[in-house]
Amino acid sequence: MNNRLRVLRAERSWSQADLAERLRVSRQTVNAIETGKYDPSLPLAFGIARLFDQPIEEIFFPDGGLPTPTRSRPA
Amino acid sequence: MCFTLIVEEEIPLNRPSQRLSWRLFTLGVLSGVLTLVLAYARRHEVIPPRLMWLAALGPVLPMAAYFWGLDRLLRGLDEMQRLIHLEALFIQFGVTAFLVLCYGALAEAGVLPNYPIGTAWPWVWLLMFGSWALGQIVVRRKYR
Repeated sequence: MNNRLRVLRAERSWSQADLAERLRVSRQTVNAIETGKYDPSLPLAFGIARLFDQPIEEIFFPDGGLPTPTRSRPA
Repeated sequence: MCFTLIVEEEIPLNRPSQRLSWRLFTLGVLSGVLTLVLAYARRHEVIPPRLMWLAALGPVLPMAAYFWGLDRLLRGLDEMQRLIHLEALFIQFGVTAFLVLCYGALAEAGVLPNYPIGTAWPWVWLLMFGSWALGQIVVRRKYR
């Protein structure tokens, strides 16, 4: 699984340690997620999505894929 | 006491996995040193017979300190750190079981000396500890 975590983190000028503190995980875990060596659990993935205020599918996507564009929901 | 200091030391919150590893390492070394010192003391009959049970259980006491703080430590680990420890334990179990079974088979065949369990257990403990440390190194490298 790929993700845009590094990009999102860089946009906010956060270090890996900053992000780790916000997510209450270790810096090593953030690094492993960013490099694709570790896929987070659903609760952690949802926590990341909530932190960046983005849908989960715009942050995490399958290998070789692209983030799913968000569609506006019908009213 | 030294293991009390280990349990209560303050290390940053984002490093509980290293803290657990260092605690296990320190307690393992302490247990090994106690094993050697108490074995020497028993051999030279320094210990009175009524305290022999205490000397015999001495090397196990550091593990009591480990279990004392284990629950709190495990709750402090994040999900990847727990996975690292779990995978390291798989390696430890596999390596220890394989080598103990091999030794047992070779000892039964008369190729290697057949030590009684009473004298062989410190070596099994060292083997478990060594294979756990090896597992930690291998698994941590995988997620680095």
